[in-house]
Amino acid sequence: MQIASKQIDDFKTERKDITPPLPVILRLVPLLLYCSIIIAVVLGAIFFLQLQLAIKKREGHRIETENIAIETQKTQSERAALEAEIKKATDIEAWVAGSRPIQPLLVEIARSMGARSSLIDLRIERDPDAPAQLKLAMKIGTDTTKQLDTTLDRITSQDYRTFSPQQNLGRGELDYRATLVSRQQRTPDVVPETPAP
Amino acid sequence: MNLTDIKGILNFSSFRPEPDDPSAGWRKRFPSHRSVFIGVGKASISWRGIGKNGKATEPEVVRGDTKEALTQAASQLRELTDDGWCAVSLNTRYVISLETNLSRRPGSEALVKVNPRTVLGGRYERGKHYAVTHNPETNTSILFSCDEEQTRKIEMMVRDLGFKVGRMCCGTYVLLRHALGVTNVSKGSEKPVSTFFIVCCEGAVSALVQDQDRWLELRSRTDVYEDDVTPICDLLSPFHSRLAADMGITLVCDEPLPDLVEQLKAAMPNRPINDLSQPGLLTTLLLQN
Repeated sequence: MQIASKQIDDFKTERKDITPPLPVILRLVPLLLYCSIIIAVVLGAIFFLQLQLAIKKREGHRIETENIAIETQKTQSERAALEAEIKKATDIEAWVAGSRPIQPLLVEIARSMGARSSLIDLRIERDPDAPAQLKLAMKIGTDTTKQLDTTLDRITSQDYRTFSPQQNLGRGELDYRATLVSRQQRTPDVVPETPAP
Repeated sequence: MNLTDIKGILNFSSFRPEPDDPSAGWRKRFPSHRSVFIGVGKASISWRGIGKNGKATEPEVVRGDTKEALTQAASQLRELTDDGWCAVSLNTRYVISLETNLSRRPGSEALVKVNPRTVLGGRYERGKHYAVTHNPETNTSILFSCDEEQTRKIEMMVRDLGFKVGRMCCGTYVLLRHALGVTNVSKGSEKPVSTFFIVCCEGAVSALVQDQDRWLELRSRTDVYEDDVTPICDLLSPFHSRLAADMGITLVCDEPLPDLVEQLKAAMPNRPINDLSQPGLLTTLLLQN
């Protein structure tokens, strides 16, 4: 004889609308939902961290870019200064090169000064409109015009002719202005832009 | 589908049996929930709390009229439950009898609950709950009956105190079926067992004589004893002369009763006693089934 003991008879008033439990396989529905929520949270956290890292990286790049821009600006200003220096040096070089043809003239003028005369001021400018002509302006410390004649002779010895001379003698100083034209009609290689000191 | 259904799916309660679905086991209905088992006697109630891990607390008893005792114990009972679910063991005002020639149609043990007339025939009485256990080898059956009014009354008492009844059963009947199931394990007529079943549950006593595969006699009384077990022996001692000489005793109690085994040995000498009693046995059976 075998009697099943795994049974308990229930006498409570039964509810009529008792529903059976849902199939076990449908537990996948809430499980998948919870899994998707967990995955979404994890992915959200990862994306958030990545976003924070990207923001920090972008900020770093921005600061780096700004530093580079500042560095570039500084370099550019330094380069501009260097270029200005180069230009200045080039100009000096050009001036030196341009003034080389008239250096013998200047030496002759300086050597022409006698014992009682002195060259107070000497200015030679090249006319941009007529580069073949030199405008001579000099101030000589002397009481007579003899020194001027000597100086003009020396200028003539350098194959320059004077035009439109103007002279003014007074109080021991002689101002002389004239336009010099080379007899060889030679044009200097480099025209100095600034007057000789 | 309303919000409750969605909530039930999300917390997986929809995949479990409903709390008051009697076809499902207690553990399946209340996983990780505290609940309480209440034993209702004529002049006392007893209870055991069931923890979230399924372990039962120590039994407690309050003597007195059922309603008064329940009211008195209500606050203690509430502390033992999460949401008020309880199982009630009815230990008074029922009848367990031995019947013959009841209907053996398939599923009759389940059918007797919903349509008892078809199983019981002329033995059917209106307004009673029935449960039946057939002897598979003979035409005898154990028939349990109790008044619907009584069960409803106890249900109302319990509900009025804010509890929800998840199960109502008869402890003695459950223990008797347990003893029968544990003892009779061989299929067919192989190795038939002859024993004298004694079932004690909170004052109620049932005694069944099984000779080989036959159930010969059954006697059931409620409110027989309280603390002193002498009335049990007084009730059962007349069986001694009617039992076969070599017939043993199978004793099942919801809680081990002090001195009962000794007194039974004295009242029924030379009979081996197979004591199946365990502390909280009824609670264990209710949890397992």
